[in-house]
Amino acid sequence: MEQSLQTQLDGIKTADILVGIPSYNNVRTIGHVVRAVIAGLAKYFPKAKAVLVNSDGGSSDGTQEEVRRVQIDDFKTILTSHPVHPIHRIITPYHGIPGKGSAFRTIFEAATLLRAKACAVVDSDLRSITPEWMELLLRPVYDEGFDYVAPLYARHKFDGTITNSIVYPLTRALYGKRVRQPIGGDFGFSGELAKFYLSKAVWETDVARFGIDIWMTTLAITGGYQVCQSFMGAKLHDAKDPGSDLGPMFTQVVSSVYGLMEEYHPLWKDVKGSEPVPVFGFSYEVGLEPVQVNLERMIKNFRLGIKDLMEIWRRVLPSETALWLESIGRLSDEAFHFPQDLWVRLIYDFAIAYSQGSVHRDHLLKSMIPLYLGRVASFVRENMESSATEVEERIESLCKVFEEMKPYLTERWAKGKGGG
Amino acid sequence: MGEIWQAAVVDSFNKFLEKVITFLPNLLAMLTILIVGFVIAWLVKRFVLRILNAVQFDRASQRWGLTHFLSKGSIRYSPALLLSRFLYWIIVLITFILGINALEVAAVQNLIAQFFNYLPHIFAAIIILVIGYLIAVFLGQATLIAAVNAQIGSARLLSRSVRWFIMILSFTMALYHLGIAEKVIVVAFSITFGGIVLALAIAFGWGGRELAKGFLERLYNRREKEEGPDRISHI
Repeated sequence: MEQSLQTQLDGIKTADILVGIPSYNNVRTIGHVVRAVIAGLAKYFPKAKAVLVNSDGGSSDGTQEEVRRVQIDDFKTILTSHPVHPIHRIITPYHGIPGKGSAFRTIFEAATLLRAKACAVVDSDLRSITPEWMELLLRPVYDEGFDYVAPLYARHKFDGTITNSIVYPLTRALYGKRVRQPIGGDFGFSGELAKFYLSKAVWETDVARFGIDIWMTTLAITGGYQVCQSFMGAKLHDAKDPGSDLGPMFTQVVSSVYGLMEEYHPLWKDVKGSEPVPVFGFSYEVGLEPVQVNLERMIKNFRLGIKDLMEIWRRVLPSETALWLESIGRLSDEAFHFPQDLWVRLIYDFAIAYSQGSVHRDHLLKSMIPLYLGRVASFVRENMESSATEVEERIESLCKVFEEMKPYLTERWAKGKGGG
Repeated sequence: MGEIWQAAVVDSFNKFLEKVITFLPNLLAMLTILIVGFVIAWLVKRFVLRILNAVQFDRASQRWGLTHFLSKGSIRYSPALLLSRFLYWIIVLITFILGINALEVAAVQNLIAQFFNYLPHIFAAIIILVIGYLIAVFLGQATLIAAVNAQIGSARLLSRSVRWFIMILSFTMALYHLGIAEKVIVVAFSITFGGIVLALAIAFGWGGRELAKGFLERLYNRREKEEGPDRISHI
């Protein structure tokens, strides 16, 4: 830990609430996020001693200065009075592998040292955060005895495709809890859970990057902590090119999920079905920005995978699955359809291959990208005219297929470990 | 006459007996070396096989593509078994050489000395070839996947080029290490790759100037056109 951070924390001694904001070159949006956090804490937790920690990855665009500068001059405008305790602001660089996970590590350290009762982390590129998010993420922990609050967002029907097609259904089928946004990015958690996270030696792995979100959710569930969800409304990010970092994002998230599967096999092997977790907040429909999708390019990438990567896939897939894939590759653009049960089978087969190490793990995960794009293309095509509710029903049906086919996973997993 | 004949026979018999007596310990030494050598070879084979199984060498070989390579050559043994047998036969070979050396036959000893001097070069060449092959497979596969994800149509060609380049490079290094036609190999290698690079430079820089320009323009325009509308947020 940085000496200056240690000194600042020693000066503060203890805190009731800690809010962490990881950042890297977010000067355009972080001011709004900090204002929303300060307003939320003043409005909903006026008597609590609160600390705001900005864990920065070495921004060069004035992000840190912006966090220092932002003020709410007149609390009356947000229908509240000045908080009893001033909100302490700590701006600190983090160390280790560049990534969100390393930034969170510093936040967990601060929460543990300050013995914070309730903590929250929010992304620094949010455009849709409001003061109410503080109440929604912190209240279930602060007053209701929960340890982990996952967000529930209203998102565009084609947004969050890794979540909708892999992470949510797989996590739900494995651990039996319906946490709809397990990699949502904004979470609430207890100080005790922060201490538990900090005790794990994962900071040199993919968890230190994009894998931190699913790691936090999985550990909260498998550790037996009380988990709930809060409806946050729409989630809008600062604009960036989403396609540019698909490769590392995909491999880091999926490797974290598969890595956790390996670690927690004794906990998930006997879980059947799933159960909902408590939901807080007021659910409502939100008008969302339209999302444009290039289906042609996705299908082309899938076909290229069928043509060139089948040799690698055959090493991890049963022959009938490989044949099934090839038959899909021959379909025309108009008739293109990637069935749910084939997709589930692939996710399970790749998980087993990842665990067995039969193909170099990085190669295995990167070779999945054309398959993923094929599945996304099929999903988009099927739901082009569907409403958000209908799309949610389709995701629900995919989750059920994941749960129904879980015996396929457990049987093959056991055989694989037995050397079969 | 009879005495002379008797003396000659006895003398030569004595000389023969003397030679046999001198040779007998060497023969016994050779037999002992062979027996001990075979026992050590067998023990090493068992020990190495056990260690390789414990560290899951076969699984790692599968990951590196070694199993796939062996199956292509119709070799049905597992890589762990193959490596342990290889070590067994290496020890047996060394045992034989040491055994023959124990006989102390001058002509054979010379040959053996030369062989032992050359042995490290053979080992180094084998190691270069194996490591070269593993790197070639790994980088070839990485190139193939990266090219497919970048939507390059000739991904397989690119991957094979990388693989063959590394394999030829390691083969050349191995031959160089063995001291086989060192100069010829270096010259041939330089000419071949220098020629390829020069040919590409001329083709793109001069002969195919317009073609290269058109290709790059089309690629750039296509990227721009394709990347424009795709705004999915995957996470």
